[in-house]
Amino acid sequence: MKPITLFAFRRWWRCLWLAGLLVSVGTLLAADFKFEAQLIWATNDQKSPNPKHKPVEAEVRKKLSDLPLKWKNYFEVNRKTMELARGGSQKVALSEKCTLEIKDVDGGRVEVSLVGKREPVLKRTQPLPKDEILVLGGNAPNATAWLVTLKRTE
Amino acid sequence: MMDWEQQLKLQAYLDDELSAADRRRVEAWLARDSEAVALLAELRRTHMALAVGERDHQLPESREFYWSQIERGIRSAERTPTAPERSSWWAAWRRLVIPLGAMAAVVLAGILTVSQFNPAPGRESEMTLADSDAFTYRDYAGGMTLVWLSYPAESESSLSSLVDTLD
Repeated sequence: MKPITLFAFRRWWRCLWLAGLLVSVGTLLAADFKFEAQLIWATNDQKSPNPKHKPVEAEVRKKLSDLPLKWKNYFEVNRKTMELARGGSQKVALSEKCTLEIKDVDGGRVEVSLVGKREPVLKRTQPLPKDEILVLGGNAPNATAWLVTLKRTE
Repeated sequence: MMDWEQQLKLQAYLDDELSAADRRRVEAWLARDSEAVALLAELRRTHMALAVGERDHQLPESREFYWSQIERGIRSAERTPTAPERSSWWAAWRRLVIPLGAMAAVVLAGILTVSQFNPAPGRESEMTLADSDAFTYRDYAGGMTLVWLSYPAESESSLSSLVDTLD
């Protein structure tokens, strides 16, 4: 077996130090969380009366179909992305009367606040790992429903 | 043909380095081998030529002085301290702090990465401010949480207005 020389040992330590530094810097730079929020209209109609609405993505549709919801079609009304620093908060308006606010709690949980017509409707704190989705929903006129989905993308 | 060992034996005989028994054996060998006698005569002539023809070289210094110089040189070389590679605190810094710092950085990065991408299951809390009949459905396999608010359907100030931009 080839003996480890002092030079090789020092080079190994140097590489380890550099790798540690790069990983640390990369981790700190990537410390922000990213979320995607969507306002969705659920209906049994085949088409939305608003031509600006488009069917939700297949992945979202699949996820929603796995939930105990009775509607067949889901249309995306609005979509917003949010970046959240550790301990920070972010607020987005999904419609004129619907505002969603998220806040990082101890780096592992997220506090979600839903405001409708300037009234706080729901405040919920839960872990939201990457790719998991929180769905807030309620009934709407004509046997339809509104949904607000919040997905952590990073 | 005489081999190397026999030639050395003759050289030792000439230099009077053999034991009595060996000496007798060599003399018996010389009595019956003319080639050995010839080689011995050649060695003897060479020995004589070196003894007579080699000139003595007289050193300018005496033998004692010459060796005292060598001895002094050896002692001074032993006393000369070896130069340190670097200052001691710098060497300690490089040997200990940098590797430990690197390891600490790697461990810290690992902890941050694990905590960020695999957060520990934390407590969930919920406060429905405008709806006391909300229920929560959790799909662990699908990574979905559904919070359903029944409030809008029965009230004029319903959340259905959230999607009033539909019209």
